[in-house]
Amino acid sequence: MSARRFLVAVLALAATLLTALPVSAHKASDSYLSVNVKGLAVTGQWDIALRDLDFAIGLDADGSGEITWGEVSARHDAIAIWALGRLTLARGGACEIKVTEHLVDTHTDGAYAVLRFAGTCPSATQSLSINYRLLFDIDALHRGLLKLDLDGVTHAAVLAPTTGTLAVKAGETSHLAQFVQYLVEGVWHIWIGFDHILFLLALLLPAVLLHEAKRWHGVATFRKAGAEVLWVVTAFTVAHSITLTLAALQIVTLPSRWVESAIAASVVLAAANNLFPLVQGRRWLVAFSFGLIHGFGFASVLADLGLPKDALVLSLLGFNLGVELGQLAIVAAFLPVAFVLRDTPFYRKIIFLGGSIVTLLLALVWFIERAFDLKLLSG
Amino acid sequence: MNLHHNLFPGQAIKGGLNLLSLHAPRAGLLRATCLAALVFLLPSALAAPRVPTDPAEVLERLPIRPGDTKAREVSALRAAASANPEDAVPALKLADYWYDLAMARGDPRYIGYAEALMTPHFVHAERGRMAAVLTLRGQLRQYRHDFDGALADFSAAIKADPGFALARAWRGAIHIVQARYAEASADCEALKPLGGKQGTDTLSAGCTGLAQAYGGQLAAAQATMERALVRATDPANRLWLHGHLAEVMQWRGDLKAAEKHYLAALSLNIEDSFLLTSRSEFLLDQGRHDEVVKLLSGWESSDTLLLRLTFAETALKLPIAAAHRRTMRDRFAAARARGDTTHQADEARFELQLGGSPARALELALGNFKDQREPRDARVLLEAAIAAGDAAAAQPARDWLRATGFEDPLIRRLGAASLAQTKAKPAAPAAQGAKP
Repeated sequence: MSARRFLVAVLALAATLLTALPVSAHKASDSYLSVNVKGLAVTGQWDIALRDLDFAIGLDADGSGEITWGEVSARHDAIAIWALGRLTLARGGACEIKVTEHLVDTHTDGAYAVLRFAGTCPSATQSLSINYRLLFDIDALHRGLLKLDLDGVTHAAVLAPTTGTLAVKAGETSHLAQFVQYLVEGVWHIWIGFDHILFLLALLLPAVLLHEAKRWHGVATFRKAGAEVLWVVTAFTVAHSITLTLAALQIVTLPSRWVESAIAASVVLAAANNLFPLVQGRRWLVAFSFGLIHGFGFASVLADLGLPKDALVLSLLGFNLGVELGQLAIVAAFLPVAFVLRDTPFYRKIIFLGGSIVTLLLALVWFIERAFDLKLLSG
Repeated sequence: MNLHHNLFPGQAIKGGLNLLSLHAPRAGLLRATCLAALVFLLPSALAAPRVPTDPAEVLERLPIRPGDTKAREVSALRAAASANPEDAVPALKLADYWYDLAMARGDPRYIGYAEALMTPHFVHAERGRMAAVLTLRGQLRQYRHDFDGALADFSAAIKADPGFALARAWRGAIHIVQARYAEASADCEALKPLGGKQGTDTLSAGCTGLAQAYGGQLAAAQATMERALVRATDPANRLWLHGHLAEVMQWRGDLKAAEKHYLAALSLNIEDSFLLTSRSEFLLDQGRHDEVVKLLSGWESSDTLLLRLTFAETALKLPIAAAHRRTMRDRFAAARARGDTTHQADEARFELQLGGSPARALELALGNFKDQREPRDARVLLEAAIAAGDAAAAQPARDWLRATGFEDPLIRRLGAASLAQTKAKPAAPAAQGAKP
């Protein structure tokens, strides 16, 4: 092949490849709205064509006929305000949504701004209503292609000027189902709440022992150990139930940094009491007083989760019971083993003393981190 | 599909009657039943959202570049319309501009702009503006394939102003597309005495000629159009007449004459996607795939033309064909997702020739034939029914052939073949039953 013919072939190939790039089709305007509603929480994504945004609010700042990423990002706030002002989601009242992320994507007819959003609704169970008004005032052929996931059930609709309002019935979420949902959340949060578990264990470690004449002895009967544990766990539960309820109903609110620091301090003190016994016999009182603080900690978890207004008491009860069940599971696993091992040096030295020391140090680090807003340990 | 089916020729009235786009996208008519499933298909057509890193990255090119003539015209018209939102006159001007832009570029967004702009005026049309406003609404409705609504509007416009030629021409066009040739001829006749401006004559002749051609009088149609061609001086009118004469000659079996008319039309150097569609189908029928690729390169943004291009590329086994087939599939999916069924005829052709589903093709062709009954609509229905082995389903097309006496030998052969298949059909189960 001569050089000239080779060149021609290459150019032809390049031309083929160039035309293989996606060509934007002419298409009427659509936006792609994906909404995920689970209980009170709303998340979603909204793809709106840049061409439509430009026609509506103007993006091409330099008048070049080209829209750059810089021009789009300069208008992010305006885009969010304009778009969210044309969409109403309501579940027992208007849901509050905010744009959390701005991206871009490509559809068959060109580039789109992608708005990710999140927010909360007043009710977790009522039907969801959507009122969609994007672009209808300037483009009567515009359609909103909605994909809605409402409590796990998927719906789809095309929103047009005459069908821009839509009410979607929630699946029959019974009160029982809701109760169970919060119960599971409660169990889950005691399990992942490491500081609560450590506090509880620090109080439980000496339950199979007795401090007499400056020495530790194993308790005589399982019954005795069980009674001690019952007192401690019940006191802790009653206490944190009180404060959890007060905080969840927003009767009492405390700054979270204060609460988190106090929780760390409570773990430090509980562990220290094992090493240098001060409080004996009335450990339930310790459990109760610090339990009050831990209640506020649980409340912050519940605040993230959201409480449905129409089933407030039931959900609160479910969450609380979940926390108890989680605690009981820990006790049920710990107590028999500790009782059997109570007279061994392994339990005395490694588990009891060693565990208390490690707990104390760890909690001390947490306390310093939380109280002084420092980062000592990663994660 | 963005086929600008210029049913009638002429820049005669109000900047042109080459406006009818009966194959243009219908974006309305929500078909709630089939939508749910379709919206879920969408993600397959989408890329992953991303955050660009370079602020200078160009994400989109606007169709109207600021600073060019179009942009200046648009902004002047927009300014005039928004200065007096109550006044229908500037709104009509802008809406007409949007409408013409939609036709020229095959871009339905402009139709949406026009409709949104005119919606308040549709409610309170002034007496003097009634005919123009109603006609515009009819045009917008036919674009969405709301033919009944459009007919009502054109009739109301004619009632308000019997001399309003545009409404008369539009009504005739819809009658033709829906195979009511007698009603169409009445409107074509009524156009004759109207106006008297240059080109009105072509308009009336185009209307009559088309009704004759579709109604089984090809020789008369040829004569009508040839007479008009002698008198026509406007290039757009000549393009229309040459393009349609080419089709008439093709149906009459005179491919040489058809070729001559196509070349004459193309030599006018006016971009016209109806002409390109018709020409590329002519070439495809004769296996002249290379010429189709040459003719349609650069027209990929039009779905109708990209489809014809993809047929040719597939036949030539070009590497790009696969990518274009994917693009077509994505575009059909995107249109379906929004409830748009104006693409049915093209989608049927795609399924029939490239998609590999004759049953789906038949379903689409039947749906299309309910709205539109032009020769190419009958052809795809017949071909799909034969391919799907369900020739009985093509009855509406055979009825149309019988009623009109349409003369194209190719379509008549398809009609006869499908009829033969329906008669052969009952034997098939018996033969199967005879097997042990």
